[in-house]
Amino acid sequence: MIFDLRVMTISTYEGDVPFARHVLRLRPVDKPGQRVLDFSIDVEPASASLSEGVDFFGNADTSVAVSETHQRFIARVRARVEVRATSIPGVTPSWEDVARSALESRDLSPDAPAHFLYPSRMVGVPDVIRTYAEESFPPGRAILEAALDFNARLRADIAYDTEATDVSTLPEDAFRLRRGVCQDYAHIMISGLRAMGLPAAYVSGFIRTLPPPGQPRREGADSMHAWVSVWLGDAYGWLGLDPTNALIVGEEHVVVATGRDYADVAPLDGVIVSAGAQRAVEIAVDLAPAQTAAP
Amino acid sequence: MSSVGADGLFGIGLAHGYRALDGVSDEMVDGSGALRPHWRRLLDLLGELGSEELDARFEQLDGSLRSAGASFRVYDASGSGERSWPVSRLPLLIDAQEWRGIEAGVIQRARLQEALLQDVYGPQTLVAEGALPAALVAGSPEFLRPLTKVRPRGGKYLRLYAADLSRGPDGRWWVMADRAQAPSGAGYALENRLASSAAFAEAFGAIGVERLAGFFQSFRESLAQLTQPGGVGVCMLSPGPMNETYVEQAFLARYLGYLLVEGEDLTVRDENVYVRTVAGLRRADALVRRLDADFADPLELNAHSRIGVAGLARVVRAGNVALANALGAGFSECRALLGFLPNLAQRLLGEDLILPNVATWWCGQARERTHVIDNLHNLAIAPSFAPASSTASDVRLGAELTARERERLIEALGRRGMDFVGQEIVSLSTMPVWREGRLTPRPFQIRVFAAATEDGWTIMPGGFCRASAAPDARAISMQQGGVSADVWIMGEARGPAQSLLPAAADVEVRRHVGALTSRAADNLFWLGRYLERAEAAIRLVRAGHARAQFQDRSERATAQLISDLLAERGAINDDKPLLTRKIAMAALTSTRLMGSAAGVVGAARRSASRLRERLSVDVVSAIEELAEALNAASRLKAGPLERAERAVRVLSALSGLIGENMAQLTGWRFLEIGRRIERALNILDSVEVLGLDDASPASLAALLELGDSSITYAQRYFVAHARRPIVDLLVLDDTNPRSCAFQIRKLHELVLQLPGEGADETATNAGRLAERLSARAIAREAGDVDRSLIANLREDLYTLSDVIAERYLSNRDRLAFSFRADE
Repeated sequence: MIFDLRVMTISTYEGDVPFARHVLRLRPVDKPGQRVLDFSIDVEPASASLSEGVDFFGNADTSVAVSETHQRFIARVRARVEVRATSIPGVTPSWEDVARSALESRDLSPDAPAHFLYPSRMVGVPDVIRTYAEESFPPGRAILEAALDFNARLRADIAYDTEATDVSTLPEDAFRLRRGVCQDYAHIMISGLRAMGLPAAYVSGFIRTLPPPGQPRREGADSMHAWVSVWLGDAYGWLGLDPTNALIVGEEHVVVATGRDYADVAPLDGVIVSAGAQRAVEIAVDLAPAQTAAP
Repeated sequence: MSSVGADGLFGIGLAHGYRALDGVSDEMVDGSGALRPHWRRLLDLLGELGSEELDARFEQLDGSLRSAGASFRVYDASGSGERSWPVSRLPLLIDAQEWRGIEAGVIQRARLQEALLQDVYGPQTLVAEGALPAALVAGSPEFLRPLTKVRPRGGKYLRLYAADLSRGPDGRWWVMADRAQAPSGAGYALENRLASSAAFAEAFGAIGVERLAGFFQSFRESLAQLTQPGGVGVCMLSPGPMNETYVEQAFLARYLGYLLVEGEDLTVRDENVYVRTVAGLRRADALVRRLDADFADPLELNAHSRIGVAGLARVVRAGNVALANALGAGFSECRALLGFLPNLAQRLLGEDLILPNVATWWCGQARERTHVIDNLHNLAIAPSFAPASSTASDVRLGAELTARERERLIEALGRRGMDFVGQEIVSLSTMPVWREGRLTPRPFQIRVFAAATEDGWTIMPGGFCRASAAPDARAISMQQGGVSADVWIMGEARGPAQSLLPAAADVEVRRHVGALTSRAADNLFWLGRYLERAEAAIRLVRAGHARAQFQDRSERATAQLISDLLAERGAINDDKPLLTRKIAMAALTSTRLMGSAAGVVGAARRSASRLRERLSVDVVSAIEELAEALNAASRLKAGPLERAERAVRVLSALSGLIGENMAQLTGWRFLEIGRRIERALNILDSVEVLGLDDASPASLAALLELGDSSITYAQRYFVAHARRPIVDLLVLDDTNPRSCAFQIRKLHELVLQLPGEGADETATNAGRLAERLSARAIAREAGDVDRSLIANLREDLYTLSDVIAERYLSNRDRLAFSFRADE
């Protein structure tokens, strides 16, 4: 499936900002199963200098330095991305075997399981989530079966609610409320998997704005979306699971960045030199199947 | 075990009754209880002083650090920040031969840690070959992914390394923890040395104690090579005054001659780091980092850090700044590593460890986990990835767990064993510490420092020794609350005396390579304003309280006007009560009223505490004395008038120190500008309320008193209090140092000397404003002083203050925030 993606973010400030430095993480990544056919980014003020980089986890980031006095900062992204469906493994090892091989791995490359085993800035391994997760992980159960069960339970037990939590809510707090948005679903799932000693990553990206014909509208469309990547052992590697929609990540998702939690992949970080504060930041997203041939 | 007997000599008498703890080895006495020879030598030498003189020396020692403490106190709300390790009365003695072994062991360890960091951030062969588990590296929060595959400027990760050592029961020295992130304590060692070498000069000389200055010299030389002309040289990057070792950072920065900067002083432009100074942005090539790496760059590391520098990691990757130590060096402190270092020493250096470290088993490995579970009762259990130096709360003894705790721990080890290590329980030897009038054995550790040189390492011959407050000799019981001691290495040969400290210890402001950070200038400016504001408040209280006691209507009316002025400043409440004794006391001492004299002095103290490397002990002591005079809780049994008198006296002494003793460099100018602006504003306020329209003679007399110009007036005018000459004297007479015009003339002179002012014809806003002010104030007639002139002058002064703040003092990076998914 080929998608056209359009994203716009607007940050507005209270006063004049003579200098600002941002990191944008909005560029879809090239990886097996996903190819970026076309990409452009432009910003306002247009005099800003942009440089493209790649972070440790292989995510593209755009560093922006604005040296012109401004009151708002806008970034517009246009991309055309081809996504292929993932193949789903049949027989997977037990979750205990996966935990063991993650610990024994001699790999420190960007997608090595070792990076995703531990508590990270926003995701710990609190008992309250571990106890909940344990129900999906009886001894000897195959990792994929256990993870899909966990994925489905999260969708069933947690209400989608954009008001209940915010960008800095910890997973245990969202879990106690049994409410939240995709960031919360993803963080809770990651917390549960890591509590069992399993590697789990946070993925930020987009999900198609309108669902495939005959399917319900997906949560997380119209904005940045987030989900989880779970490690199935050396033979099968990583598989995306979307607990907000109880889906296996496939042809409806476009991956932007992978990290240990939200803090690694925040779409917009920055500092401004200013006497005043930042007032607001907004985002608009459209991800639709391409209607025309590549531009 | 027997104790040391009295044997006539007084020095040895010091040790009378000293007895080692049961089963614990001691530095001063051997197993039979006899004094070890090198300690006997020290005690003999001290004994030669005679008991009276020795007492005096002990007092000198206590006193010298108390005064250092007074000048280096942190003024935070919690009242903490006292020097956490007061100095013990006796140094720790180590003989030269034993020291050579420690030296070799610490240098080896520094080499090992450097080689380890080179591999972990470079080719990662140790992981690929299975010598170091990937999951151990990845689990450390100090393994900084954005810095992998980055060669640090100058090629080295470690510039200053330290090891915490203890002597075990077998007499060998053990490494308890590595310090690689931002080792602290070298400055305390230096302070202790300054105090102990002065107090025991004879013994110090006779023993031939090895000197410390050469070590710091080498450190400086090796960092100097990382800088290039055109920048500000090496800076010390501090987390700020709330940090527990800020005192030490300020001391070291001053000793080494480095500019002390905080994150907000730095900004990244064009792949370089710059310091914001009053003369504009100046490039920094090398930073001695006292800030934990995680906080160093909110863009790539901890996004919540408010004390870092956005973009710093980027500049490091570009090779344009050297950090000492490099970002990521904190990985060396990881506790789980201790279990691998003996093997890694063989692999990386082809050597056995000279100094053993605490036996450690990482429970991320199946066999080690089983060993720990089987031997739980003999081991301590600690978090794998906290620095090995962290103590107490997160370390637990297997033997002290309840059955239920033990069961839960074993479960946790089964699920996430990688989060835990098991460690052998080490007991420490003891050293003599002065407690309750006698020497008492207490467990201790020493921190030994190594600095990288061009071709290797050099060791500080001495160190930072800490002794525990409690007699519990188990290593994990070491915690805050004990004492520190100087460490004397008994010399073989004497090196030439070197000291980097200027001969006069109270140099006011060092020429920090000409650079003044905008932040320091801001604090100086506000220190000046607050001191002057405090003086005005005190004078108002004094004048108002005296008059509130009169029956005379006109005097009482004046007292009411003064209350109006004080209420305006927030020194009393809005009901504007007359200044009875109680109200006057509150206006002087209340800490709840922002504008009270004590409130304003509190603000001055906070500014001063951020300037500790720039202010002399005299200035800081005077500010302390001022605070004490205004402290309601102080033992001072004095009424408002006595307190006000005392405070005014201290303020005038302070004014003398600032005017006569401070080098008149750029920093001083900002302090003066602050004082002059505030004083001019205070005069205008008083004149407006007490000196306009048909002011009464009583009110005019009060005005003269507030303006400290009664005597000048009496000398010049033989008439009774008349409005025009009084207003002229206070507002327009630029020969009266208390007049508004005088402040404005001084301001004009000061502003023209600021960087970028007056050098050419394109005067900046500040210069033009100061000029306009002068024109307004000078060549006026007394009759011209009316509300509108006062309003114009005040407006100009406010604008000048804003313009100076904008051009020289403000501007900092602020974090922008991001949005989350699904919104």
